[in-house]
Amino acid sequence: MRTFLLSRVLQLVVTFWVIVTVLFFLFRLGLPDPTLALISEGLSPEDRQRVIQRFGLDLPVWQQYFVYLGNLARGELGVSFYYKAPVGVVVFERLANTLVLMLPAILLSYTAGPLLGVLLVWKRGSGAETGGITLGLILRSAPVFWTGMLAIFVFGVTYGWLPTSGMRTLPYEAANWFDKVLTLDFLRHLLLPMLVIAAYYLALPMLIMRNTMLEVIGDDFIEFCEARGFSQRRTMYRHAARNALLPVVTQAAVTTGLAVGGQVVVEVVFSWPGLGREMFHAVRTSDYPVAQATFVFLAAMVLAMNFIVDLVYSKLDPRVTHEAAKG
Amino acid sequence: MAALARNLWTIIRRDRMATVGLAILVGMVLIATFAPLIATHDPNAINERVEGVAVHHDGQTWRDVERIGDAPLNSVALRDDGMGVAVGFEGEAALRTGGGWTDADVGVNVTLRGVDTADGLTVAVGDGGVALHLVDEEWRATDTGTDADLNAVAVAATDHALAVGDAGVVLRWDGSAWSSLDAGVERALHAVTLVDESFGVVTGDRGTLLLYDGDGFEAVEGLGFRELFGVDALDRDTILAVGERGTILRLAGDEWQEMRAPESRDLRDVRLLGPDAALTVGTHGVVMRMDGQEWEREDTGYGQTLRALAAADGEVVAVGTDPFVDRLGEPSRDHLFGTTHLGRDIFSQTIWGSRTALMVGLLAALMVVVIGTNVGLIAGYFKGKTGSFLMRFVDVMYALPFEPFALVLVLIFRPSLAIIILAIGLLTWRTTARIIRSQVLSLSERPFVKAARVAGASDWRILYVHIAPNVLPLAFLQLAVAMAFAITAEATLSFLGLGPPQIYSWGTILHEARLSGAWRTAWWWIIPPGLFIMVTVVAVFFIARALEVLTNPRLAARG
Repeated sequence: MRTFLLSRVLQLVVTFWVIVTVLFFLFRLGLPDPTLALISEGLSPEDRQRVIQRFGLDLPVWQQYFVYLGNLARGELGVSFYYKAPVGVVVFERLANTLVLMLPAILLSYTAGPLLGVLLVWKRGSGAETGGITLGLILRSAPVFWTGMLAIFVFGVTYGWLPTSGMRTLPYEAANWFDKVLTLDFLRHLLLPMLVIAAYYLALPMLIMRNTMLEVIGDDFIEFCEARGFSQRRTMYRHAARNALLPVVTQAAVTTGLAVGGQVVVEVVFSWPGLGREMFHAVRTSDYPVAQATFVFLAAMVLAMNFIVDLVYSKLDPRVTHEAAKG
Repeated sequence: MAALARNLWTIIRRDRMATVGLAILVGMVLIATFAPLIATHDPNAINERVEGVAVHHDGQTWRDVERIGDAPLNSVALRDDGMGVAVGFEGEAALRTGGGWTDADVGVNVTLRGVDTADGLTVAVGDGGVALHLVDEEWRATDTGTDADLNAVAVAATDHALAVGDAGVVLRWDGSAWSSLDAGVERALHAVTLVDESFGVVTGDRGTLLLYDGDGFEAVEGLGFRELFGVDALDRDTILAVGERGTILRLAGDEWQEMRAPESRDLRDVRLLGPDAALTVGTHGVVMRMDGQEWEREDTGYGQTLRALAAADGEVVAVGTDPFVDRLGEPSRDHLFGTTHLGRDIFSQTIWGSRTALMVGLLAALMVVVIGTNVGLIAGYFKGKTGSFLMRFVDVMYALPFEPFALVLVLIFRPSLAIIILAIGLLTWRTTARIIRSQVLSLSERPFVKAARVAGASDWRILYVHIAPNVLPLAFLQLAVAMAFAITAEATLSFLGLGPPQIYSWGTILHEARLSGAWRTAWWWIIPPGLFIMVTVVAVFFIARALEVLTNPRLAARG
């Protein structure tokens, strides 16, 4: 067990390093001169030279790379070219904004989805099943930015029930982030984007649940349950569902890992000041420190969640041996 | 391979959802293939619409342009009591009684070219010899005995009106019926005016000008060869005629003279406001006023063609056409899905967009499956260092979230379809690789592989001849899944404005809609492209669901 853990952690570190390296060179070599953004603000050539020196942009690329790695190891993410503020501050606020949107959405879809999935199996062969599957596939096929636009059009513009943009009605005053979020106004802003994302995510756990349930209900223990005279509801939800939950849990973890980046398009459509929108903005404005930090952050989250999935998997399903997981 | 194809076909045919999916997909492919034929407009063309307008002069100044019809207006008449009538193309007619202009239904769909009103007689004439009388707010057709196009009409009294038309046709209304008069010319006649029942003037093609004395016509010779489109007379000695390229002819005393005009545009109509005062209108919004001997240009703030002019009681009305960009038009017969804020046809854009979606979807999916299957095959078969290295590589790929990375790739190398395809292809083969690998892991332990090895087959031969055919069904399933993903991914990137600007895709249409801000009201702009994305992706999912049976037969037995 310990060697397994150790080798996985080592793998994790190596993978992370590879990603960080790829990111660094991708950004440094691919995107235009970052000081261009500063010139547009009317910077003289001398000032520009000074900026280049201060940010270390005059060093050879490989030297910049090591400086970057060193800073990263110390948790220093640099200063945003655009906001002229420490990247950490910028990124963490955006991250909080994203999570407060994504986590409820994921929670909702991964609660409702599996329950509906079990229902589909229970009602298998009926029109309800076909209808449910079709609806699920439709929800999964509709591009999320489009459903977002439709939701805004219907509930925001036509009926005017809910606000459609941002996290709070402007102008507002908030002493800190929690002050901003713990209000009714915020909840009203949250509702539309959250439901749009939840609807999009709903289908996957539902269909996964259905597929694994179909396998599980062929097992002997279900017949025993039936033989013991358990009600169908009890057999389905307490015995079969429990055994079919594993792939759904896996998917939930993977989705959560990816959710850190937010749904870029949803954040754009709803003008939600989250990490995804910030990343898009940072890349477009060549704000390397912010763009790189968000990417590193994203990659780290995905890796961490995958790692946790692996561990949880081996705990939950005794059939998965560490040897197999390693291979 | 043939057996697999047959197998796939059987599976799809047996599954109702998959059959529907395949039908939709084939339909989409047909739409994409025949896009140039199906699209009703050039997706980039800025579409214009033409409407009828009136420009009023209230005695002091020209007032704002008023839109009074759906088609260009050809003629207008006013009475001293303020009643007005205007007619135009496609049976367009508008009436003014007291307040503003209201649309009138004339009951026929022919182009009306002339209208006049006096003493309770209101007559409109038009193409095909049509003559309509307004009686008790109802238009009634009267028999003219001709099918020549009638260009103008003038009313002197309830029982005296003249209508002129092509090929020298002249008709007279005597209070109960039309009768034909011989004008002595074969040329097209454009305009007519009646001072009273015993005097009138008719003008037409190539300098034709006829004087009417109540019974017959006398031609005035030597007036040049220009077309004369409009004429007006106060009495026998005061006549003005206007026509092609700024032509203005005036009878002063007993001598005809050509007047100098500051504009050389075509002049369509003229009205005498007094012995020495007149107005004329023409193409490109030209309006000129005569004061004494001189003509001067007037600015009405209107730049389109004015076709006719009427004056009564100090008020002047000019009517004409107004072609304007059809911005944010709702769905109509001409524009099935309406138009954008630039007047572009959304239906045609959507149809052309299907090409982009299917091309990107298919090419990217093929790339995903080819890379993923090969990596999976090799990693599954060569379990040692090679396999381990490849799977670590796949792990790295898994840590790259798709959307952000595709975004960076597209921004680094200018937006183009090739880059979008590459971004999708290079970033998403990881799942296919993992799935194929696990299949290969179990396949390579099977007896037939051991048999092949004993028989002396090389590793590559075993891998590609013996194992690969067995993962093909799985690869097909992955192809469908990847295609659904690729179509959505392309739409997403284009929606973010990362698509090539010259090529229409469903995502680009939605991007433009969002950028314009007009989508908040123009529902017809956002629904079609999204619906097309959804329907196409659902179709692919339907097929993919049926293909799952190939790899997991248990689903078939119970599902």
